[in-house]
Amino acid sequence: MDSTIELLEKVLTDLKKVGGVEASALASRDGLLIKAIMPSGQHAETFAAMSATMLGAAETATTELGKRIPERVIVESDHGKLIATGAGPKALLVLLTTPEAGLGLILLEMDKAAQNVKELL
Amino acid sequence: MMVETGIPKLDEFLDGGIPKGKSLIYFNHLGVEGDVFGMQTLYHNLAKGGTCVYVTSSSNPETMKDHLREFGWNIKQFDDKLLIIDGFSSLIGGLSTENYVVSNPESIDSMTEMIDRAMKDVPKGSIIMVGSLSSIMDLCGEENTLNAVKMWNRMAMIREHVLIYNFTAWPYEESTLKSMKNDIFNCVISIGGIEERVIFGQYFGVLKADWSKVEMRSMLFRVLRPGGIRIYIPKILVTGPFNAGKSSFIHSLSTRAVSVDRLGTTIALDHGHIDYKGFSADIFGTPGQERFDPIIKMISGEAMGIFLVVDSTLPKDFIRAKQMLEITKGYGLPHIIVANKQDLPGALSADEIRNHFNIPKDVPIVPTVATSKKGIYEAFDILVEKITGGD
Ligand SMILES: Nc1nc2c(ncn2[C@@H]2O[C@H](COP(=O)(O)OP(=O)(O)O)[C@@H](O)[C@H]2O)c(=O)[nH]1
Ligand SMILES: [Mg+2]
Repeated sequence: MDSTIELLEKVLTDLKKVGGVEASALASRDGLLIKAIMPSGQHAETFAAMSATMLGAAETATTELGKRIPERVIVESDHGKLIATGAGPKALLVLLTTPEAGLGLILLEMDKAAQNVKELL
Repeated sequence: MMVETGIPKLDEFLDGGIPKGKSLIYFNHLGVEGDVFGMQTLYHNLAKGGTCVYVTSSSNPETMKDHLREFGWNIKQFDDKLLIIDGFSSLIGGLSTENYVVSNPESIDSMTEMIDRAMKDVPKGSIIMVGSLSSIMDLCGEENTLNAVKMWNRMAMIREHVLIYNFTAWPYEESTLKSMKNDIFNCVISIGGIEERVIFGQYFGVLKADWSKVEMRSMLFRVLRPGGIRIYIPKILVTGPFNAGKSSFIHSLSTRAVSVDRLGTTIALDHGHIDYKGFSADIFGTPGQERFDPIIKMISGEAMGIFLVVDSTLPKDFIRAKQMLEITKGYGLPHIIVANKQDLPGALSADEIRNHFNIPKDVPIVPTVATSKKGIYEAFDILVEKITGGD
């Protein structure tokens, strides 16, 4: 039987296989890195902490306005996109994509993955 | 004189180390990076000038040396202090140039003979380390091996050596594993995985140490290459009022750190990482102003300890400081007060702060100057001791 962490890792490696995805990470809502699949040498812990804060701040900002919790936060730059989405109450999922990546399939796969994570944690 | 394990925190919990004549087993559960424990103990003792006998049974002696190099531990300089009992080469029909060669590794008696000989040759208080007890069990059978181990432990006791085993708990007989954990060794260090809320990690703890009364809680650890074992603290929180010096404190303390600062103040968080004295910790800093309270609440979850930073010249801000300790649920966690900006005129001393604000005796107050690093490592030592100390 696989442990939870192995199953979570599999969710991340599967996501990483989607065209255009460069890195994937799973963090707790309070900013702790659970697991990352990203090029070595990058500080995954800092990346996780910042992404959690960003998503948390976005959720707080919209709910302060009386709007519903946003589905995701997408950050676009010349170098690619960063997408953060909630994965249940405990975790969030973050992806980095190449600049030319189309979002359609990626968002679909990401939502599925987020659902899987939600059930695992 | 004790033989130290060289593992951060562990010697402290063993009352200084392993007494001569005792046996210790690193009991690894499946799937953890446990073999580094034995390696670190071996290197630590060689570096201190000790003599070590290493028993190989599953691989070439060179493999062990390569493994040590991975962690940055070069033992070439200690070659004359490291003796090898080669229980591998004969298995594959190879020749061996080692000090002691086990002629028939599938016979436990042949192993016993070499261990006995080595124990007679080395000075009292040497370390005899069995590289992989599991592979000996696989070759010689569980019962035979355990009977031999009991004898080796007696031999070590009589000759006043320290006998250390590395073991991986493959699915052996339940009774075998049970007696290994409870009966056979003087000391059992359990190394396993942990899934606690969202912290997935590896931990070690003392299951048994018959010479020490110290109770040890499990310690999370990480393995650095190079570097070896570090006690891992996934989140230490730094909080306190606006402008108290939180960001400065984190940057002074950290090996590397980043801050989301705009218009001169932190609006999201600071994040730093520190590697220091056998500890590896990630530090999270909060903003100070009330308008950021939702973020402060969010990032304070799962913290293992808290630095509450105050500007010692601004007693009026202390009310906010106490409030922040509440928001972050700091009262229930190990926490200390960092009395910062001690270089400025009018700064209150630690005692003045304690009296003015009725700070309980068990909450340390550490005077600091964050901008010049004064006092910050003392603060770190004290908090980490509170987080990792036995209770
Ligand atoms: N004199 C003095 N100034 C300090 C000290 N620590 C921080 N500061 C200064 O206080 C200001 C606020 O520091 P900062 O770390 O940004 O505070 P934060 O709002 O708590 O993150 C900066 O100008 C720092 O240079 C200290 O120990 N002594
Ligand atoms: Mg700041």
